Amino acid sequence: MSTIINIQDLSKQFAKRVAVDRVNLTVQSGEIFGLVGPNGAGKTTTMRMLVTLLQPDHGEIVVGGHSVRKAPHEVRRLIGFMPDSFGVYGNMTVHEYLDFFGACYHIRPVERKRLIQDLLELVDIGHRRDDMVDTLSTGLKQRLGLARVLIHDPGILVLDEPASGLDPRARVEIRELLLEIARLGKTIIFSSHILADVAELCTRVAIMENGKVVAVGSLDQLSEQAVPHRLLQVRFLPTFDLQAAQSLLLAQPSISAVRFDEANGKSNWVSMQLEFIGDDISLQKLLSDVISHGMPIIHFSEATQNLEEVFMRTTQGIVS
Amino acid sequence: MSAEVEGTPVQSPAPIVEPHENNHRWKLLSKMSGNPVVLKELRGRMRGRQAFVLLTLYLGLISLFIGVIYAVMVRQSSYVGWDPSFRQEVGKAVFGSVVLLEFLMLGFIGPGLTSGAVSGERERQTFDLLRTTLLSARSFVLGKLGASFTYLFLLILTAVPIQSLAFLLGGVGLGEMLVSSLMLVVTALFLCALGLFFSSVMKRTLAATLSSYGAILLSIVLIVITFLLITYFNSEISDSEKTKAYLLTLLAWFFISSNPFLAAVASEIFLVEDQSLFLIKIPLLGSSSTEITLPSPWIIYVIFFVIFTLTLIYLSIRRVSRADR
Repeated sequence: MSTIINIQDLSKQFAKRVAVDRVNLTVQSGEIFGLVGPNGAGKTTTMRMLVTLLQPDHGEIVVGGHSVRKAPHEVRRLIGFMPDSFGVYGNMTVHEYLDFFGACYHIRPVERKRLIQDLLELVDIGHRRDDMVDTLSTGLKQRLGLARVLIHDPGILVLDEPASGLDPRARVEIRELLLEIARLGKTIIFSSHILADVAELCTRVAIMENGKVVAVGSLDQLSEQAVPHRLLQVRFLPTFDLQAAQSLLLAQPSISAVRFDEANGKSNWVSMQLEFIGDDISLQKLLSDVISHGMPIIHFSEATQNLEEVFMRTTQGIVS
Repeated sequence: MSAEVEGTPVQSPAPIVEPHENNHRWKLLSKMSGNPVVLKELRGRMRGRQAFVLLTLYLGLISLFIGVIYAVMVRQSSYVGWDPSFRQEVGKAVFGSVVLLEFLMLGFIGPGLTSGAVSGERERQTFDLLRTTLLSARSFVLGKLGASFTYLFLLILTAVPIQSLAFLLGGVGLGEMLVSSLMLVVTALFLCALGLFFSSVMKRTLAATLSSYGAILLSIVLIVITFLLITYFNSEISDSEKTKAYLLTLLAWFFISSNPFLAAVASEIFLVEDQSLFLIKIPLLGSSSTEITLPSPWIIYVIFFVIFTLTLIYLSIRRVSRADR
C-alpha cells in the first residue's frame, strides 16, 4: 500500500480559536481511516482543508501527489466529499441530480448516463430513479449522497458523519455500503460519533481532541497504548461464595482488579471482569488455578477492548 | 511557510473531458449551453407553476395598463377627433407606457431572481458540494446569471407583440423599438448582476434581497437629489463661468442618462426634435445661445450599465472563488 494522503504540520485558526493544531497524519491507499473525537475536536475543519474548502494557515496536505494549496483542481478530481449535513435540490429527480453533478465534473453525457445507471444500482436506489429528490427518506438521501460523491469515480472518499441522523437499519445499510465501496479499492476517510461503526469499519483510527491528534493507529495498537492490562470476562455458578471468589482471584499475582457486574435478576450465574497483566501462559495458569480451587466457572473469555474505552482513556474532554 | 510533502502521484481516474478544447468559435456558445448550472436553474424555474403564473401576471398587467390608456385616449378622441396625428399620439402613449411599465416590473422581478443565487445555495447547504466539484466560480456565477437573465429576456420578448400594437396606430419607428429593447435587455442584465452581487456578499437571501432593492431605491433618491442640486447651481451660473457650465451640463446629462425612465424619455424627445438616434445638441446650462453636441442618453445608459454589470459580475466571481478562505 502506498501513501495517498500526507498531512504535515497542519494548522487552522478561526479568530483566536485554534481549530486544528499542527496535525500530522498519513493515509494509505485502500484504507478505511476513521477520525473520531469530541465535538469541536477539529475533525470537520481537517476534512474541509483536505477537500480544498478551507485554506490551511500552516502546513501542507498532499493528496495523490498534489498539494491542496497549489493544485486544488487536481485534488478535487481525486476526492469525493460528503459533508456532515448537506442539502439536496428537491426540485430535481434522482437521475437529474446525479446528472447535474456529473456535468459539474465535465463528464460526457453518454458517459454520465452509464455511470448514473451503475451508481444507482450500487447504492440500490435504481427504483427511485425518476422520483423527485424531496420525496426520498433521510436514509435514501444519504445513499444518493454517496452516489454523488462517486460520480467522478474518485479514488478517495471523505465522509463527514455519514451515518448521522439515520435509523438503526439505515445505519447498518450505509455501513455495508461503505464496505462494498472499500472493496472497489477506494480509500475512505470518515468521521463519526458512532464509535461502534468506526471500530467495525476502520483499518486505522485517529483520535482528535482540542485540535490535535492524540492517538493514531489500528484499534489493537490504540488499545495497547491506552489500556495497559487485558480484560477478562468470567462467569461462575452462585454456589461458590462471592467473597471467597474475590479473595482467591486477588491472591493471583497476574490479577490487578476484580469487578463484579451488577446482576439483573434474571441470570442464575455471577459475572465479573478481571484486569489481567501477563501473557497467554499466565492466562492458562490462572484458569487452572481457579478451577483447582473449586470455583464453578461456566464462562472464561478475554474481552476485546472497545473503541469507546480507548476513546475515554485517550481523551480528556477538552473542547477548543 | 508550507513544507514540501511527499506523496504518491495519482492520475485522475474519472473520465473527465475539457469541453471543445480545439474549437474556439464554439467555445463561448458551448460554455453557456454546456454550463450545468444554467440547465439546472432553468429546469427548476420552469418546472413549477411559479414561472408561468409570473409571466401571465406580467403580461396581464401590461395589457390592462394599455387597455386603460387606450380607453382614456379614445374617450378623449370624441372631443378632439380621431385624426392621424392624434392616432400617432395614442401609438406613442401605448408604446411608452409598455416600455416604462416593463422597466418598473423588471426592477421588481430582476433582483428577486438572483438575490438567492449564492446565498440560497449556502442556506440549502449545497454550496460546499458545488465547490468541491470541478465547476469554476466563473461558470457558477455566469450560469446563475445566464439562467436568471434568460427568464427576464423571455419576459421582455413576450411583451414585444404588445409593444408592437403601437405600429398599428403609428407614431413609433423601428429605431425606437430597437433602442427601447436594447435598454430593457441591458437593464435586465444589470438587475440580475446586482442581485447576484449582493447574494455573493451576504450570507442570507433575505438580506441580499433587501440590499438589492435598497440599492435601486437609493440610486433613484441620489439621482433626484443630484438633479435638484444641479438645478440649484444652474441658476447660480453666470455667463463668464464656462467651465462650471460645461461640467454641470455634462453631470446633468450623465444623471439623466443613468436613469432608465429619464434616459428613455429624453432619447425619445431628442429623436422627435433632432431626428437623430445617436447625437443630439443641447443648450449649455446657464446659457441659451451656446449648444454642445452629446451622445443620445440611451448610448450613455447602455455603455454605463454594461460596464457596471461587468464590474458586478467580476466582483461576484471573486467573492465566490474566495468563499470561506
